[in-house]
Amino acid sequence: MKGDLPMNSQIKKGILDLCVLALLEKGDSYGYDLAGSLARKVEVADGTVYPILRKLASEGVVSTYLQESQNGPPRKYYHLTEAGRRKLDSERDEWIKFCGEVNAILERSETGGETGGKADE
Amino acid sequence: MNKTEYLKRLSDELGHMPYGDVKDIIQSIEEHFDEGLGEGRTEEEIAESLGDPKELAAEFKDGAKFTQIMKKRKRLKDYTGPDGRGRIFVVVFNLFVGIAMWIVLLCAIVAAFCFLAADCGLAGLIIASLIMGKITEFLVPFIFLALTLICIALFLIVLLILGIKYYAKGLKAYIKWNKHVWNYGLGEE
Repeated sequence: MKGDLPMNSQIKKGILDLCVLALLEKGDSYGYDLAGSLARKVEVADGTVYPILRKLASEGVVSTYLQESQNGPPRKYYHLTEAGRRKLDSERDEWIKFCGEVNAILERSETGGETGGKADE
Repeated sequence: MNKTEYLKRLSDELGHMPYGDVKDIIQSIEEHFDEGLGEGRTEEEIAESLGDPKELAAEFKDGAKFTQIMKKRKRLKDYTGPDGRGRIFVVVFNLFVGIAMWIVLLCAIVAAFCFLAADCGLAGLIIASLIMGKITEFLVPFIFLALTLICIALFLIVLLILGIKYYAKGLKAYIKWNKHVWNYGLGEE
């Protein structure tokens, strides 16, 4: 959303791909649902998810298919492919490791020593 | 901003993207609106939560750029050396079809040249004979024959210029294609 610090949004942009992959790990989903899930947890606009999904689809880490919905036209569902799963696994480890390192630096400067990965909120 | 306005602004901002991509993007955002409306939200609410259409368009454009770069990188990364099948294809194709075809075309051009030379020679001979007054009988048919021969000559000259131009162009493209198949195999261009 607007009003965020530039640094904040840069960091977010880099990691949102991974977040979308992680959401899809729980099961196939459609755009509106993913937009909601993402925007509820991270402070981003609902629209953000769509360019990411498009990029991921063209990378081949997610695939798409249409499925009928009870009300209204068919929904475009997104599915995490094998390649997506591999990417998620490797990048998740990398991110958690990186967070641990960053936290170690940040915490030392405050309390002087303890390290720990607080990747979750 | 309502749904129509939002979609219009988004598609304007997407600008130079290929038509198919714009259509695809607009469709997905339209779907988003419809889902939201189904939940009882208003068009204005949904537009607000989607974020600035200009920013959204910029993100789509960034994504497209990124994809192009990744595709190129992937091709370079996937390149594991020459593809054996591609090389066999190049050799076999050239042996039976490719080279023969280009030689036949070259022969056609040479033949057209010879024909042009003969045509010009004959036309010249008739015109010279006419001027020198050596032809006394069938004067009109001979003049027509000379004119016809000149017309054929002009036609052949045009044909040859075009023919040589496209021959050179085609040969260049053909060699490039061969190189590509030789190096990368018969995959996507």
